[in-house]
Amino acid sequence: MGWKEAAEPVLTRMPAVRRPEGHVPFKRKLAWTAGILMLYFFLTNIQLLGIEAGQADDLFGEFRAVLAGEHMSLLQVGIGPIVTASIVLQLLGGANLLGLDTDDPRDQVLYQGLQKLLVIVMTALTALPMVFAGGFLPAQQSLTLGGFTFDSTQIQLLMFTQIFIGGVLILYMDEVVSKWGVGSGIGLFIIAGVSQRLVTGFIQPTEGGFFYNWYLILTGQMEVGSLVSGDGLYTLLMSDGGQIIALLTTLLIFAIVVYAESVRVEIPLSHARVKGARGRFPVKLIYASVLPMILVRALQANIQFMGQILNSQTGDSTVISLFGRELPWLGTYSDGQPVGGFFYYTAPIYDTTDWMWWTGEVAQEAWMVMIRIGVDLTFMVIGGAIFAIFWVETTNMGPEATAQQIQNSGMQIPGFRQNVGVIEKVMERYIPQVTVIGGALVGLLAVWANMLGTIGAVTGTGLLLAVSITYKLYEEIAEEQMMEMHPMMREMFGKE
Amino acid sequence: MDKGQNTGGLMSSAGLVRYFDAEDSNAILINPKTVIATGVLIGVLVQLLTFVS
Repeated sequence: MGWKEAAEPVLTRMPAVRRPEGHVPFKRKLAWTAGILMLYFFLTNIQLLGIEAGQADDLFGEFRAVLAGEHMSLLQVGIGPIVTASIVLQLLGGANLLGLDTDDPRDQVLYQGLQKLLVIVMTALTALPMVFAGGFLPAQQSLTLGGFTFDSTQIQLLMFTQIFIGGVLILYMDEVVSKWGVGSGIGLFIIAGVSQRLVTGFIQPTEGGFFYNWYLILTGQMEVGSLVSGDGLYTLLMSDGGQIIALLTTLLIFAIVVYAESVRVEIPLSHARVKGARGRFPVKLIYASVLPMILVRALQANIQFMGQILNSQTGDSTVISLFGRELPWLGTYSDGQPVGGFFYYTAPIYDTTDWMWWTGEVAQEAWMVMIRIGVDLTFMVIGGAIFAIFWVETTNMGPEATAQQIQNSGMQIPGFRQNVGVIEKVMERYIPQVTVIGGALVGLLAVWANMLGTIGAVTGTGLLLAVSITYKLYEEIAEEQMMEMHPMMREMFGKE
Repeated sequence: MDKGQNTGGLMSSAGLVRYFDAEDSNAILINPKTVIATGVLIGVLVQLLTFVS
């Protein structure tokens, strides 16, 4: 008996959101999507019951921009558990260790169940250290509710329950959008989080806001040195001044992603029986979309969480200790940020202040900064390529699956025999190469954008994700509208 | 054309969680309105409890 038979009774009974029967009108789809979005914003504004008001370190730190959710709110874990569970599934599925055939309906049910179970386990695993490892979500000393007084351990349990429920809610909210709405919930939450930060970064009426900083500069309230000596220019360019570099990076990423979406290799197709019916199969440069990138970032995030959790256990010491021994090679911390050791080198670069060693704002030596940039680049470029390959395989976008789809639609490549194997051969010439190049390119872009900084500190990955998800969403909406206007198309695409 | 076929794999823009058409008869099915209602209820409940505490 394999694991499938053993796990079947549990996995097939995981609660799922009902599928719509028949066609959902486009307006209804938009309404569901908007409803979930409102619920998301509502929940990010509800503070956890029992939390001590004030400042506390966010365990997600700089990864918050990508992982959505809000620190100290019901949606504390954001999409973190979903992403982590997805990494596990991608790796297992990509290496074909699961033995699940996603064309078989029974295996599909098992896959969905396993996915859900993994997310729920990961939610608990993410929430546990957040509440109990101390420092990240400080609990109140006591809490009185209707004559019943909770002590601090009970409050922590209460907070854990709330965060856990919030995590499960996110999972089901994603399912509602995927089945009843437009796009996916995860995409929606990422766009929501990044856009919110971006807009805040522009208009916040305190120091750090783009327009406010320029108001200060123009009215002379912010000290700008002489433009000739370079000091003034520096202030205008950098993120604590005029933020011109951040603005340019943000705009450039927008432009590059939209352009790269249109870069493609087109494979001509013709219909085997209907003469004159022609089509093209596009192999896009960003073939695997930018989503695999979030998996790489989440992997880095999980390494950093480990460091943060270890650091929170060391008390006053700045050096991480394990079993009573100090381990400086593992990590030394200052103000909750890694400043040396393994956890420093594996931390991604976020800002100009992380690496511009010649400005004197960086505490580390130039060679340490160089190693960190090198590690970050390697991680993102190679990791981006690897996860892109896995992504293509697990989402049925690989040569074999696409060849089958083309064959099933009755199309063939003109000049070649009508045969699945032949189409697959042609696809194999393009898809793997394009996937690797696209994945590596996106990784490079993300690191580059982070090094130069972005408006509102949305991070390069956040921006890349938001722009490309929005672009996909736009394409999807266009397709929906076409199908709405021509019901015939629905039948052709088999979408009832 | 490719009707009987599963379209789950073609959701390129869909997120990290994949949903297929196949469903088990054992599975507990939730109405999407229930999800939204639960979310709103929990949010309101937590906020109310915070006020009274």
